[in-house]
Amino acid sequence: MPGDGSSSAAAVWAVLRKECRSEWRTRYGLNAALLFAVTSLTAVSFAVGRLGDRADLLGALLWVVLLFAALASLAHAFVREVEGGTMTLLRLVASPTAIALGKLLFNLLFLGLIELVTVPLFLVLMGAPPPSWPAFLGLLALGSLALAVASTLIGAIIAQTRGRGALFAGASFPLLLPVLAAAVSGTRAQWTGGAAGAELRLLAAYATALLAISALLVDHLWED
Amino acid sequence: MNALVESAAPEAGAAGVRLEARGLGHRYGARIGLEPVDFEAGSPGAVAVTGPNGSGKSTLLRLLAGLLRPSHGSSHVRVGGADVAPPARRAVVGYAAPSLAFYEELTAAENLVFASEARGLDDPRRRAAAALEVVGLAARADDRVGALSSGMQQRLRLAFARLHGPPVLLLDEPGSHLDGDGRAVLEALVADHARHGLVVLATNDEREWRLAGRRIELRGRGLGRPA
Repeated sequence: MPGDGSSSAAAVWAVLRKECRSEWRTRYGLNAALLFAVTSLTAVSFAVGRLGDRADLLGALLWVVLLFAALASLAHAFVREVEGGTMTLLRLVASPTAIALGKLLFNLLFLGLIELVTVPLFLVLMGAPPPSWPAFLGLLALGSLALAVASTLIGAIIAQTRGRGALFAGASFPLLLPVLAAAVSGTRAQWTGGAAGAELRLLAAYATALLAISALLVDHLWED
Repeated sequence: MNALVESAAPEAGAAGVRLEARGLGHRYGARIGLEPVDFEAGSPGAVAVTGPNGSGKSTLLRLLAGLLRPSHGSSHVRVGGADVAPPARRAVVGYAAPSLAFYEELTAAENLVFASEARGLDDPRRRAAAALEVVGLAARADDRVGALSSGMQQRLRLAFARLHGPPVLLLDEPGSHLDGDGRAVLEALVADHARHGLVVLATNDEREWRLAGRRIELRGRGLGRPA
């Protein structure tokens, strides 16, 4: 059978490369995300100064900035396909699983890039104390994974619905709240000398559960 | 039941590909997209599906391509006697329709290379170049799709449909926006494919349905009226 390998790693890789190329050409999300991260951090820095002794605020501020910088682009990965009319093309060349995995990997890469700029800027502008690097990096990695999986799943669900905006907000809140709560709590703990093991485990379990749900749902999401 | 007018008997298509529809129909919510239809078609050859606006020509092709799940009935695509389930049909079906859009920020060649890579085909660049050559788009291969005219984008759809060498071509309004040269490309493409595979053309353009050896006319309610 010709081309009988569309569920394979080749299809995932092709979708990921296509996403990267499209984003690079259009800068649809990257510019907006970086603009938001830099301007909001600069504004907060001017308004309240350095927050080195407020670990409770630092954790929340870091994740709120990361969430809002990345979310619009992450959740629109599928909406762009529907609105651009390219969903049919995509469905003709790759399986739903390969498409979703390719988009998830792109979202992870996108988040990583945002964090690469945002986190060092945050640490400098906010005057944050040196983090406990293993826990801090673990929280960033697992928080990003959970955030990417949740927003990819939400994006896939809402893409072909009417009233996507309202549905996006409604569907996002319950799915993203546990990620934010665990990530903020863990980040605060590692700055105050506490243990972040429970939060790390929670984030890993949550991301795994969402991945399993996505794997079960994805084949049925785009059937008319 | 959808009334059918057939201009010739179904072809045998012994060792090739065979399409079958059994009470195949679709609803979009309360609206009828395609009234139940029965037909068979086999390779080699070409079949034209005609009918008034809203009779379900495009819906029928989307159902056969596995892009829609039927509300009732079933469709079968058999290749070498083996039934290909709807989710796997993308490997054996080439599909082109006016609603098929490409990534405007990518070039014509990049769109086809992406499609080849995602399908896991060998030598995606060579395939893309060859497909563009056949439809007369080689000179515009490196132009972004957003800069191509409607006729050129239609040629790109034809190149996309046959990129992976599928035994079945499902072409919805394939002559849309094509000029004289483009129509010549289409005619050659249909004639070539119909020699060994199966082509299904959904059209009301006489120049197009005359390319087929057989015509199926859908006489549904038209314009997607409520049931």
